[in-house]
Amino acid sequence: MKYNLWFGIYEDGRVDKSSNLEESFLNAENEEPLPFSISEVGIEVFGGKTGYYASLRKVALAVAERLVERELRKEDRYVVALVKALEEVEEAINMLNEKLEDIRTVKDTEIAADFENKIEELKNLRKKIEREIEEIMTKIAPNLTEIAGAKVAAKLLERAGSMERFVKLPASKIQVIGAEKSLYKAFARMKRGKKAKIPKHGIIFLHPFIRTLPKSKRGKMARFLAAKIAIAAKIDYFRGEVDESLYESLRKRYEELRRK
Amino acid sequence: MKLEKVMRNVYLTDGMLVTKSRYGSHYGEKVFDGFREWIPWRSKLAAMILKGYTIDFKGEEKVLYLGAASGTTLSHLADIIDEGFIYAVEYAAKPFEKLLELVRERNNIIPLLFDASKPWKYSGIVEKVDFIYQDIAQKNQVDILERNTEFFLKKGGEILIMVKARSIDSTVEPEEVFDNVLKKIKSRFKVMKHGNLEPYHKDHLFVHAKLF
Ligand SMILES: C[S@@+](CC[C@H](N)C(=O)[O-])C[C@H]1O[C@@H](n2cnc3c(N)ncnc32)[C@H](O)[C@@H]1O
Repeated sequence: MKYNLWFGIYEDGRVDKSSNLEESFLNAENEEPLPFSISEVGIEVFGGKTGYYASLRKVALAVAERLVERELRKEDRYVVALVKALEEVEEAINMLNEKLEDIRTVKDTEIAADFENKIEELKNLRKKIEREIEEIMTKIAPNLTEIAGAKVAAKLLERAGSMERFVKLPASKIQVIGAEKSLYKAFARMKRGKKAKIPKHGIIFLHPFIRTLPKSKRGKMARFLAAKIAIAAKIDYFRGEVDESLYESLRKRYEELRRK
Repeated sequence: MKLEKVMRNVYLTDGMLVTKSRYGSHYGEKVFDGFREWIPWRSKLAAMILKGYTIDFKGEEKVLYLGAASGTTLSHLADIIDEGFIYAVEYAAKPFEKLLELVRERNNIIPLLFDASKPWKYSGIVEKVDFIYQDIAQKNQVDILERNTEFFLKKGGEILIMVKARSIDSTVEPEEVFDNVLKKIKSRFKVMKHGNLEPYHKDHLFVHAKLF
């Protein structure tokens, strides 16, 4: 049997110590009560009672501080709400533009100017929301924002619902977020015995590193990007430190694919 | 100053309950000469003690505290269990923020922002404890206590539970609620003492019991 302890995985009397105690602390879930004494095991692992409890207290406090802050500010939920609002504003702008064109083709009236003003106003609002999203994303998920860009990062977050849920998504899922419709369509076609293409990328298709590659290489890049996004989100959520190497490896991979 | 010892690190002076403490005020209580006033209207544990019932703590116990809120009672318990450790569970972030101030100044409190009705979520953190203190004002609080007992209470370990009649069932008389609670507890524990907390807390019951 395997047991999840706050300082690592316990199996067959041995402990595989966690390299990220805050992460393992939040994963210290077990269906059944532990059949051994966690403090005895821990005291051995940490080389003494003092060390064990001091580490436990420190990790518990760090995790609690983070959870409380997030819980209280609910900033990821704010971003989710902003992304939804942004989509509506964008739709409104498109709709008004269309109507404006319709009117103009018939007659150049004063009303057209009113439409233009409204559209201008909405564009300002859009800019404001975008800036706000960027600011908060940089704060709550700096690594994710750096490698995915604030827009893609925020859209992914919106689909996931929260950072907590985001970090549980596997890269394969992140890769197709936003492509669910075409994915289901493809499955439906295959069920009917027809040929279908599995979509390779959803929202992350908006990323410049994918968009600017030839079609044949986008799938590879999307897979790579999704994997890095999954890692970045976890670092942001569990540690909050910036990891420069993520963007570097992404850029390298992009250059490689472009040259090939 | 005349001090009358009541319990480990707990004294009475001029009718005021105090704990021996090196720390400052946490919730507006008076602090003087190495003691902190323990206000019975703010803390059910203080009320119980003032009503004459004490718990024989040694000071080195491991305690699991369910429903620690902002740490009012916890701050005094931490004065008492000064050589042990208290695992403090609370699921609301707002009061927990205040509790964390306490954690930062002391080194015997392990803060756990978890739902006490899901003990498996912190089963790889909390060790087997000598004592469970529960004050969560929930309808199913006895079930929650039992679940935590299953996971964390040592054989022969003790529990102290604070029950608010209204939060369990507001449609029947408190006496009836208390009878049911006691019956449930008696199926798993040996009840050592129970009683009300009047006049400090209305329609509340404390139950101190030991695991068979
Ligand atoms: C009456 S207050 C506790 C006061 C505290 N014991 C004191 O004396 O300082 C009850 C607390 O239990 C918490 N609570 C209720 N249900 C809970 C649960 N399932 N898990 C964790 N905490 C819970 C509430 O958020 C609240 O802070």
